[in-house]
Amino acid sequence: MKIRIEPDGGKDAAPRPMEITLDGAGVQVDGSKTLLDICKEKGIKIPTLCYHASLFPESRCRICMVEMDGKLVPACSTRPRQGSVVNTSNERVKRARQLNINLMIPKPQSCSVTDDNEICGVYNEVGIEFTRFEVLKNYKPDLGSSVIRDNNKCINCGRCVKVCAEIQGVYAIDFSSRGYSEHVSPYGGKHLADVACIRCGQCILNCPVGAISERSHIEEVREALADDSKVVVAQTAPSIRAALGELFGMGAGALVTGKMVSSLRRLGFDYVFDVNLGADMTIMEEASEFLRRFERGGTFPMITTCCPAWILMMEHFFPDLFPHMSTCKSPHEMLGMLTKTYWAKKAGIKPKDIVVVSIMPCTAKKFESTRDEMASAVDYVLTTRELGRLIKMNKVDFAKLPDENFDPALGVSTGAGAVFGASGGVMEAALRTAYEFAEGKAVSRLEFDQLRGMKGIKEGSIQIKGKEVKFACASGGMNIRKLLEVKDDYQFIEMMACPGGCIGGGGQPIYQAPDTLQKRAEAIYLADRQLPLRRSHENPVVKRIYSEFLDHPGSEKAEMLLHTSYTRRDRF
Amino acid sequence: MYALDKAKAMQPEEVIALIEKKGLVGRGGAAYPTGRKWRACRAAQADERFIICNADEGEPGTFKDKFIIMHNPRTMVEGMLICAYAIGAKRAFIYLRGEYGYLRERLQEHVDDVVAKSGMDVSIEIVRGAGAYVCGEKTAIVQSIMGFRGCPDDSHPTVHGLWGKPTVINNVETLTCAAQAMLYDDWNPDMRMFSLSGNITNPGVYEFPLGVKMSTVVDIARPKNRLKAMSFGCFGGIMPVDYGASITSDMICKENCQHGAYSVIFIDEKQNIVDISYSIAKFYTYESCGKCTPCREGTIRVLDFLKKIRSGKGEVKDLADLKELARHIQDTSICGLGQSAGNHILTGLEHFMPDYIEYLKKKPTKA
Repeated sequence: MKIRIEPDGGKDAAPRPMEITLDGAGVQVDGSKTLLDICKEKGIKIPTLCYHASLFPESRCRICMVEMDGKLVPACSTRPRQGSVVNTSNERVKRARQLNINLMIPKPQSCSVTDDNEICGVYNEVGIEFTRFEVLKNYKPDLGSSVIRDNNKCINCGRCVKVCAEIQGVYAIDFSSRGYSEHVSPYGGKHLADVACIRCGQCILNCPVGAISERSHIEEVREALADDSKVVVAQTAPSIRAALGELFGMGAGALVTGKMVSSLRRLGFDYVFDVNLGADMTIMEEASEFLRRFERGGTFPMITTCCPAWILMMEHFFPDLFPHMSTCKSPHEMLGMLTKTYWAKKAGIKPKDIVVVSIMPCTAKKFESTRDEMASAVDYVLTTRELGRLIKMNKVDFAKLPDENFDPALGVSTGAGAVFGASGGVMEAALRTAYEFAEGKAVSRLEFDQLRGMKGIKEGSIQIKGKEVKFACASGGMNIRKLLEVKDDYQFIEMMACPGGCIGGGGQPIYQAPDTLQKRAEAIYLADRQLPLRRSHENPVVKRIYSEFLDHPGSEKAEMLLHTSYTRRDRF
Repeated sequence: MYALDKAKAMQPEEVIALIEKKGLVGRGGAAYPTGRKWRACRAAQADERFIICNADEGEPGTFKDKFIIMHNPRTMVEGMLICAYAIGAKRAFIYLRGEYGYLRERLQEHVDDVVAKSGMDVSIEIVRGAGAYVCGEKTAIVQSIMGFRGCPDDSHPTVHGLWGKPTVINNVETLTCAAQAMLYDDWNPDMRMFSLSGNITNPGVYEFPLGVKMSTVVDIARPKNRLKAMSFGCFGGIMPVDYGASITSDMICKENCQHGAYSVIFIDEKQNIVDISYSIAKFYTYESCGKCTPCREGTIRVLDFLKKIRSGKGEVKDLADLKELARHIQDTSICGLGQSAGNHILTGLEHFMPDYIEYLKKKPTKA
C-alpha cells in the first residue's frame, strides 16, 4: 500500500494563524491549510482538475497554479508562510494556466450531451486561446466491457487510478509507460474486460474530462422500441427517481418518480414496471433465507448479493466467502424473470417477444445481465445518464411532463423497496420483514437510523427470538475490505460497492457538489415515508405472485427462478 | 578505517558539527550543505532513520561516481557508516543505476567487507535502478526504493523519506568526501571531480580545484578544433567557452547556467547548437516521468519545435513560442527534471542565436 504521510498532520494539523497578502489585500489566514482551501474560504475561485476532496493532492495537472513570493506554485498542495505574497489572477498566472490546459487538450474535445464534466467549466474559466500544439495521442479505445476508456481524451490527472485504488480497493488500473507515452491502463496493457475490474464505474464519476464512460446500449434499445413485434418493458431502479431530475435542471434530491414513468412512456416503452417491487421480492426471499439459516443453523454472517460489483469483487478477491453469500438474485433480475414467466402468462404474451430494459444507476448491472445464470431475463441495461440522453434525443421536455403511475401488474411497491437505493437500505428493508416473520409482530420503529447517513460502515443490533442479531453495512470497496476483516462479529451484512450505495452508482449523473449524495439519500427516505405500505410482505402484488405462482419464499420454483450461483475468478 | 574510528570516538553531534565546519556541500548537483542535512535528519522526530547513497548518476556526461565505485568504494562505504553513526540510522541503501549493474557484485563484496570490519550494526543494501533518469531525483528515488513508480512529489525526504521516516540522501562523491573531510585536517573543500567529455581527445574524470583556469582544463582535455561552447550535462545549460576565465560557480551562474556535478560536455565550432539542443530535447522526452502536464506534454512539443527549425521550415515567431514554452516548463513543473528541461533552450537562444538564425535561413529539406 502506498504510504503518503502528510507533513505536519495534514487535515488534522493545528491551526497556524498568520498574515499574508492575497491579491493585494492583507488578510489573516490559517497557515496549516492549503492555498486552495484558503482561497475557497475567501471566495476566490481557482480552477482545478486533478484535485479531489477526499484524496491526497498529487498536483499533477498544474492548472491550479498561483504565484507565491515570485514563484508559481500549485494551490492544492502549497501552504503559505508568514508574510507570503500571493496572487491568484495576474497575467503570469493566467498565461501559465492557459498553456497547461492547451498542452493537455490541444484541440477542444467532443462532449457528451448530458454529462456535466468538470473540464467544461474549467475551459471557460481558464480561457481557450488558440495555440499551436498538435494533437499527439492516438490510442485505441478500450471497449467491450461495461466501462470503456478513451485514452485520447485522458489528461493523465490520475483521479480514476486513485479512486480505484484508495476508495474502491480494486487496483484495476494504473499508469503505464513514461513521459508523453504515459497512459492509464489495466495490468499488462490488457482490456478492462479481461482483468479484475468490478465495473463499479466510480472511475466514470471521477473523470473530469469524460474519457471514461459506460458501454452504451442506447442503439439496441432504440431498435427494440422501433420493432413492432416486440413488447418492450422498462423497469426502473429505486435510485433513478432520486437523481434523474438533476439531468434536467431540477436540482439534486428532487424526487421525480411520476415524471420518470411518463417520460418512459413518451419514449415508446409499452409497459413501465417498478424494480422496487423486485426489491420487495428480494426481501421476501432473502429474509426467509436468513431466518432459515437462523433456525436450522448455517454460515454466518449472511451477506447480501444485490450489488453485482460486490459480487465481482467477491468472485475475484474473496471466493472463500461463497458459503456466506445469499443465493438471491438482485431485484431487477428477479423482476425481469417474473416479467417473462409469471406476467407473460397472465398477459398472454410469448416470453421471446418481451424485451426487458432495466434503467439502473449502475454500470456493473450491464455485466450482470449477461451472466449465464441470469438466463437473459433482462435484455438490456441503461444507466440513468443513458436514459437522460434518450429523453433529450427524443426532445421530451422532462420538467413539464405530468406525473404518471407504473403499470399496476408489476408496478406496486413499498417503502422497503424504495430504501434499497441508499447504503443501509437493503438491511433496513430485510430487518423490517425478517423481524416480523420471526416474532409475528411489527418491528417497533420502521426507520433504522443507525443504518442511515453517509458513514462508510454502519452497524447496529436487534433481538430476534431471544438472540442478538448484529448487522452492518459497508459502501465503497475500501470499506468492504475493512468490514470483511471483522465480519465474524456480525450475523447479517450488506455490501455495496459504490460509496453511499446505489444513489452514488457509476451510472448516475456526474456531480461536483459535495452534498449531492446526501440529498439523493434524503429523496429515497422521503419516498419511503410517502408510500402507504412500508414493508415488503404487505405488497399485494407480492402476495399474489406467491399465491398464484411461486407458492412460498424458498419454494422449488422460487429457487429456480429467483436464486443464483457464483463463479471463482482469477485476478488476471 | 581511520575516519570511521575518529568519528566513533566523538559524539554523533560533534561529528555533524565537524562536517559542517569543514564546509562539505553535496556533490550531486544541488551543493546543499551536507552537515545541515544530517543535522535536520537527526533532529526530525522518528523511531527510525535511513540513508540512501545516490549512485544513480543519470546526468549524461557524468561518470565520476562510477570512477569512485570502481576504484575507491571502501571510502564511500566508510562515509555511509560515518553518516549512520552521526544520525542514528540502522539501514542504508545504495541506489545503483541500472546501467551500472555489472559493478554490483564487486561493490557488494566491498560493502559486506567494510561493514563487517566496522563492527557496526548497520545493514547496507544495494538496490538496482531500471534505467530511469528521473529516479536520481530525491523524492523519486524514495518511491523507487519502496517499489513504486519513480514519480517525484513535493515531499522533503530529509524529514519524510523512506516509509515516511527521515532519510539522508547523499551522492557517492559526497559520502566519500565526508570520510576524507573527517580524517584530513588539510582537506580542501574546493576540490571537485570534473567529468569531461565531448569534442576532446582526452575525456575522463579529473580532479580540479574550483577557480581553476579554463585554459588549464582545455589544455588537458585537448580539443581537436577550437571550442565554442560547453554544456553542463543535459540539464545545466549551454554557455560560451571563455579561454581567459576561471571556473567558479559565480562565473557559471552569470551565464544563467548551473554547474551541477561539474560534468562538462565540450562543443567545438564545427557543431551547431540547435543540433545539440535537439539531442538534449530528445533525452528529456524519454526521461520525463509523465506525472505533471508541463513536462510530460511540453518536452515533446519542444522537440517538435526543434524538428521544425532543423528542417528549414522554422520561422522567427517559432523562436518566441519555443522560448515561452521552455520558460513555462521551467516555471510550472513539479521537480528538478522539468525545472531544468528548459535550460538548454533558454541559454542556447541567449548565447548562440546565430546558430538558430543559420537554420531559419536554410531552405526546407526534402521531406
